[in-house]
Amino acid sequence: MLRTNRLTKRFGGITATDEVTFELGDKLTSIIGPNGAGKTTFFNLLTGALTPTEGTVELKKDGGWVDITGMDTHETAQMGIHRSYQITNVFPTTSVLENVRVAAQAHGSNSVRFWRNVNNFDEHYEEAYGILDRVGLADKAEVPAENLSHGEKRQLEVGIALAGDPDVLLLDEPNAGVSSEDIDAVKAIIEDVATDHAVLLVEHNMDIVMDVSERIVVLNQGAVIADDKPENIQGDPDVQEAYLGGYEAGDLEARRQDTAASQGSGTEPDGGGLA
Amino acid sequence: MSVETQQTGGGRFPSWIGQYLRDHLLLAVIVVLFAVYPFLYDFLTGQFGLTAQMILPRTRTMLTILALGLFAMSFDFISGYTGYLSFGHAAFFGIGAYFVVLGHNGQLPVVPAETSFMLLLLIGALVAVIAAFLIGLISFRLSGVYFAMITLGIAEMMYVASNNWGFLTPGTSDPTEGVAAGSPTDVGFFEPMVGVPFVEALQVEIGPFGDESILGISVGDPQIVSYLAIGAVVLLCYLMMKRIIHSPFGRVMIAIRENEERAKAIGYNVFYYKMGAFMISAFFGAVAGALFVGYEGAIDPTNSFFFLVTGFALVAAIIGGLGTLAGPFFGYIFLEGVEEFLSREGSGGGLQPFLEQNLPGAILDTDIAGLTINEALSAFMTGHGDFYAGIIFIIFVLYVPIGMLGTLRNRYGTDSLAKYVSAGVEKRLPSSDGETAATGDDD
Ligand SMILES: Nc1ncnc2c1ncn2[C@@H]1O[C@H](COP(=O)(O)OP(=O)(O)OP(=O)(O)O)[C@@H](O)[C@H]1O
Ligand SMILES: [Mg+2]
Repeated sequence: MLRTNRLTKRFGGITATDEVTFELGDKLTSIIGPNGAGKTTFFNLLTGALTPTEGTVELKKDGGWVDITGMDTHETAQMGIHRSYQITNVFPTTSVLENVRVAAQAHGSNSVRFWRNVNNFDEHYEEAYGILDRVGLADKAEVPAENLSHGEKRQLEVGIALAGDPDVLLLDEPNAGVSSEDIDAVKAIIEDVATDHAVLLVEHNMDIVMDVSERIVVLNQGAVIADDKPENIQGDPDVQEAYLGGYEAGDLEARRQDTAASQGSGTEPDGGGLA
Repeated sequence: MSVETQQTGGGRFPSWIGQYLRDHLLLAVIVVLFAVYPFLYDFLTGQFGLTAQMILPRTRTMLTILALGLFAMSFDFISGYTGYLSFGHAAFFGIGAYFVVLGHNGQLPVVPAETSFMLLLLIGALVAVIAAFLIGLISFRLSGVYFAMITLGIAEMMYVASNNWGFLTPGTSDPTEGVAAGSPTDVGFFEPMVGVPFVEALQVEIGPFGDESILGISVGDPQIVSYLAIGAVVLLCYLMMKRIIHSPFGRVMIAIRENEERAKAIGYNVFYYKMGAFMISAFFGAVAGALFVGYEGAIDPTNSFFFLVTGFALVAAIIGGLGTLAGPFFGYIFLEGVEEFLSREGSGGGLQPFLEQNLPGAILDTDIAGLTINEALSAFMTGHGDFYAGIIFIIFVLYVPIGMLGTLRNRYGTDSLAKYVSAGVEKRLPSSDGETAATGDDD
């Protein structure tokens, strides 16, 4: 579906993505790694929000590979790569329905029609209602997005990404900050959307990762250090070393503070959730 | 919205007109109120004298409000809906105004002297669209603050040019004094016709010496005829902008205001949409300038390219409600109303003549701390409308940040005010054709 070749992104001295060569297939794939490992940066490179320092991104279209390196985000979105954001990034004062509807409208040529009333374009409304059903927000359609609970905003995040029937869905921590009662709802959504999209998931909650993924890629300091089935990842010594278990008490805490101090950003409210 | 599907019912008009009016009841009522305003003003001032004169703006003031209110709406169209503050919007007003004057005087290449007003208005607006395209090319590459600053800078350059460029006044007069249509003696009088082009019966001459009757009905006063004719154009412009706001394109504009990064991420090439919106707003901004000149017959730099022209539109938009299309128009009425209320005698009456007539002279001449009340009024109130408008503006920014129309709309839920009114009336009326849902929108 989507592949990268020696994809690299450097910010000054930091190598946030380090020669990542990776191909996403039909299997639900998760990317894990400690804070600051470069997961979000990798997504930003795939969608064109950041331009890679080196390397290429290619998307499979109609059987052939298309080089999409250097395309802008609206172009990759039109090509069929959609993403959701780690930090909720919606249209705050418009309704939940309009959030998804305007995303659906982006695909096709109706958006340039400035002389017809928007209500004449039923197809976008139908698509939006279908998606709201899917992400469990059908009864919130008329609510302004900013008035949703945090968990509902995470659902809307995914809903917006679903509009326009993308080929590839990049989900950046859809569970970030979600309370434990709501986690099951978001998990169900991930499993559901994976039935008809190629999904690449970034997730900190190991229970979910181990449960939903068919393949796990581990990033550490921008580089891929493991790429395997979930059961093998748990036993991988490199991964243990870098990330899972195998650390002295307080080690992870110290590492997290390290990265937080050196980045000054990039931490999310859920505090890791590493099992 | 399916007004086209309403085919039932008879009568003189197609039934969709009735349906449309019912859906847009609030709009219809407001339009009728505006249309009868000059007559109402004459009637009320006749009945209640100074009291009515104090409160109500003169027809002359309303005439200015029409043009400047349209300008404020065009400013809001880009600023309130995409979130890009067009601080140099006065440039388009100036282009529209100067184009009419220079075009009439035969000073523009290609455009022959004495070209009809409507044509000049239209071409001038298209010139403004091209200007917006060029300005947008530079300024939309950068973030919102840069956009505001660059547009402001360009308008200021035009202001300076219009103050110094001798070409504008081929005679000897000073460009800072402005230019008048028909002023070089070799061109004919400026007789601007407003109406449907090529249909004689649907045109009137506007201006202080224009027609005294409209659509065959004599109203006896060219000022009222101008008011009605210009008002019709403003209404048409408003309806066009409203239509765009409620289109798929308009929804993209709002998405850009709400979250431009996400709008891009879901697949919109936001640059094109911003450009489109900016060009449309420039079009209507220039129409406003042309209409202003249509009545005044002349324009000067301070009334067109000067940054305060945009400043007033911004103030009107904030008082009326940014992001509500009609809000800035009403904001402008409010601003001008305050100004006239506090103006000196002889320019619209207002508070001062009212008090002078109604308070006994003894009170007015009472001495407080060395000033009589009358003197204090002159010193602190009359003629200082701008000052009080400024205070009102600050109060709005602090306490009513979403403006008058925005507040009304919040009060009546997410549904628009017009729907609320239409639905309210619908409930009380015996349903004639079973159509219950009112689907109007207002902005
Ligand atoms: N725009 C930027 N400019 C400079 N450095 C950046 C930028 N974006 C990310 N980085 C750095 O790149 C590294 C990877 O950050 P990234 O956000 O991709 O990590 P992450 O794996 O998503 O972390 P988290 O689990 O906290 O979300 C960090 O060191 C971060 O500080
Ligand atoms: Mg991240």
